Amino acid sequence: MADQNPLYQPPKLAERILSLCCKGRLLEEIEGDLFEYYQIEREERSKFRANINYWFHLLNFLRPFALKKLGQNSNTIIMYRSYLKFAWRGMMRQKLQTGFHLLGLILAFTVCGFIYLHVQYETSYDKHHQHADDIYRIAFMNSNPQTRTPHPMAQAMVNDFPEVKRAVTLSPIYGPGMTKQPVILTQDATNVTHEVAEGYFADTTFFDVFSYEPVFGNPKDALTKEWAVVLSESTAKRFFGEEDPIGQRLSFNGMVDLLEVAAVVKDAPKASHFRFNFMLSYVTLKTLPFNEPWLSWDDFGHFNYVQLQSGADAEALEAKIPGWVTTYLNWSGGDLEALQNGDDRFALQPIRDIHLHSNLLWELEANGSYTYLLIYGVSAIFILLISIINFVNLSTAKAAQRLKEIGVKKTLGANRREVFNQFMTEAFVTTFLALVLAVPAMIWLELPFNRLVDGNIEVQNLWTADAVLVLFGITVFTAIVSALYPSFYLNSFEAGSILRGLKLSKLGGSNIRNGLLAVQLVAAILMISGSLIIKNQIEFINSKDLGFEKENLMVMDISGEPFSNKIETLKTALAAVPGISGASAVSNVPGGQFNQHSFYLEAQPDVEVDSYEMFADENAAKVLGIDVLQGRMLDKAFAADSAGTAFVLNETAIKALGIEDVVGKPLVWAENDNKVKGTIVGVVKDFNYNSLHVPIRPLIMMVAENNYNYLVAKVSPQNLQATIVSAEKAFKEVMPEVDFSFRFLDGQIEDLYREEARTLRITIILSAISIFLACGGLLGIISIVIKQRVKEISIRKVLGASARQILWLVNFKYLLIALLSLALAVPISIYLMKDWLSSFTYQAGISPLVYGLTALGVVLLIGMTISAISMRVIRANPAQTLRTE
Amino acid sequence: MKGTQLGEFEELVLLIVGVLYPEAYGLNIRTEIINQTNRKVAIGAVHSALSRLEEKGFLESKLADATHERGGRRKRLFNITAAGKGALEKNHELRNSLFNQIPELALKGLKIG
Repeated sequence: MADQNPLYQPPKLAERILSLCCKGRLLEEIEGDLFEYYQIEREERSKFRANINYWFHLLNFLRPFALKKLGQNSNTIIMYRSYLKFAWRGMMRQKLQTGFHLLGLILAFTVCGFIYLHVQYETSYDKHHQHADDIYRIAFMNSNPQTRTPHPMAQAMVNDFPEVKRAVTLSPIYGPGMTKQPVILTQDATNVTHEVAEGYFADTTFFDVFSYEPVFGNPKDALTKEWAVVLSESTAKRFFGEEDPIGQRLSFNGMVDLLEVAAVVKDAPKASHFRFNFMLSYVTLKTLPFNEPWLSWDDFGHFNYVQLQSGADAEALEAKIPGWVTTYLNWSGGDLEALQNGDDRFALQPIRDIHLHSNLLWELEANGSYTYLLIYGVSAIFILLISIINFVNLSTAKAAQRLKEIGVKKTLGANRREVFNQFMTEAFVTTFLALVLAVPAMIWLELPFNRLVDGNIEVQNLWTADAVLVLFGITVFTAIVSALYPSFYLNSFEAGSILRGLKLSKLGGSNIRNGLLAVQLVAAILMISGSLIIKNQIEFINSKDLGFEKENLMVMDISGEPFSNKIETLKTALAAVPGISGASAVSNVPGGQFNQHSFYLEAQPDVEVDSYEMFADENAAKVLGIDVLQGRMLDKAFAADSAGTAFVLNETAIKALGIEDVVGKPLVWAENDNKVKGTIVGVVKDFNYNSLHVPIRPLIMMVAENNYNYLVAKVSPQNLQATIVSAEKAFKEVMPEVDFSFRFLDGQIEDLYREEARTLRITIILSAISIFLACGGLLGIISIVIKQRVKEISIRKVLGASARQILWLVNFKYLLIALLSLALAVPISIYLMKDWLSSFTYQAGISPLVYGLTALGVVLLIGMTISAISMRVIRANPAQTLRTE
Repeated sequence: MKGTQLGEFEELVLLIVGVLYPEAYGLNIRTEIINQTNRKVAIGAVHSALSRLEEKGFLESKLADATHERGGRRKRLFNITAAGKGALEKNHELRNSLFNQIPELALKGLKIG
């Protein structure tokens, strides 16, 4: 053998790792084998391959048989064991404080987790579409911005703009007066009938633009066929169970076997700005003769979506629309001018923003609000802040008591790093324990939380990389910040000087502590005053005179086939029920959506007023409690009224017309091309038929027997149960085949403020938590501070100070901090809440009482907390406390 | 007792140690396994099996002299013990006896590959 063959040196790092981890007894032979192996590999392969193989085999040795037994003779492990032991003993020694630490952190983590999930859900709307980032809805922004635009616009944009890739038009199935109308679908073969809401018409391109997963059939083909219907999976299950329903027929509102099931797709996720149950094609729609004007450029009556080429600039496209659209829109005069000078414009709304940022006329579903999301987020951060500050403040205050322990450790040979490690370990143990305990807490509270705030969160969604990372980051941050002071500052003293008796007063940090306390108080004050103001506003809304009487109004649905020609009979039958003082048939009820067209006085055709419309019978004013100011309410007795050529306007409509004495004046109501000529017969007082977020707009009322959707009955609050039972009996006599169902109008109106009510519930809970945590933290700090001042207090007592004087002495500083926090928080709160209130047209305003109450509450709570704790020390016999030296 | 059973891979290693007598050590056992059976095994897996077999008393080992190609490290040479021999024989017999008990019929007409 060529004796001194040059040897190849395996990677040094790998050898180091092996010698670190491997059992000493096995190390030599393993190293030898690997070394020998490496020599062979290097002969045969490139250095790189050989290194990789070497690493692979080396890492393969990291198995139990070859690894060093941990803990038996490793210094590091022994030390960490002792740190853990000390941490555990420290926690057990002060169970109450540990419990409070944990509770505070668990609460904060849970709240943050929930709010994170909620925000995540609310911002996930329409994310599931493959092209979500390139799909925009066309909205028309005039003085009353609306979601609907003309049907031909969608495809015209595809034809004329290269950056528009695809477009689709859709429209919900509306009943008269723009109410989404449920349809009665029947499968005649098995006689299964369901009332199905959320039916839509859509262009053939629907499934190209929006992503839906097919279950049966081919949805794209389905939309090219006349009278073919695409069902959502859940709807298909209602009729056909698990079977493949393709080719089955369904009757549509009694029209036998009108529809053929051509495809079934998976239901859209809950986080969608619209969700259809069944869908027909515009191909079908276009075979119906009466739709002519509705499908033209004249009718802003369709939801249009465009999908741009990926990366196309939507803003640039938006800027091109005004110049382009006028070649199609046959507009002149003021409308054209408004479009050209930018007062009115077509906007492209990214679909992912619709849920949180769009709140226009005729939204497909009630959308969320970005502002509230912001409020939730800020509240969660406040709670977290308060909780972190608590933990930090209490840990640092407590650390001073452990100065002796540090001194002893240092004399026994602990160096600075070891003391540092100990404090860090303790902080990490507590925070991570809290994090781990927060998980079951969240799982346990998921259902109550969802119920309480009407939420859709699922805790399992927290197991995503970014959420885990955020919670982990917060935990590590909390631990490190809380351990910084003790591990650096306390650590900096010499063992000798500590044991000789370092003056506690020398220990700094109280300024920082007091500053953090102030931050906590500011956060708590913001939350308390904020929730009080939200509460005031909601109470204001609920008690505001809406211009009609919303209480005790029973609303029954009477739209659709079975009710035609029977409405009058039903009305009479219900009005005869004892306890019901009147019944009225209307197309829309306050709190719902209204359709909009325009009208003008025959004498001044250039003043055209956009106006909502409401079809109503002669009882409407009486039943709803609307005041008639001029003229009279509609009355069937007049031939013109029954013919729908008598109009009643509201005050705002009169103001928009700009003349005073309107009764008797001829008016033209322009339902697009259908110009209805008639006379104004009366004026009603303004009433808030929309939410109080928006001002009252012009309204025109007329009789139209075929357009009624609801029957409204005024019931007496006495004997309500009996009245409902007899109302049902009367209803069943006229309509035996229809189920009797009703709701109360005030409930529906409350729904308009659901988001507000939810925000109120959340902020009340969060402010309760925040004040609890802040007080708890204060309590902890004071009890530590008082302990340090026992001698001082005793000496003061000996020298003749009264309990009151001492109490004042102890309280003074903290009350000062509270006042300072108030001075800081109140302007911030006023600024923020003014901003929030501006989303309402009708505002309760900010009452100074709110801040008075908050201030009083905070000062009282602080004073009481401090006094309660210090009383024990103050009452103690000074001889007792002074003797210990 | 579970500890004295021979696993499939362990048996293979034990046999190879016998084949390579008296020069059996970690790396050449692995090479032999690869050559004879075409199985890819990591060096660590072989060592792990060796140390298990030694714990069970089927193998004994001694350290040989240091060599140059091992960077001056000694290798550990393995030998089969009496217990190891017993375990191998027991396994061999059991397998043969079971194989012989299979009726002709069960294997008739079966082609390998």
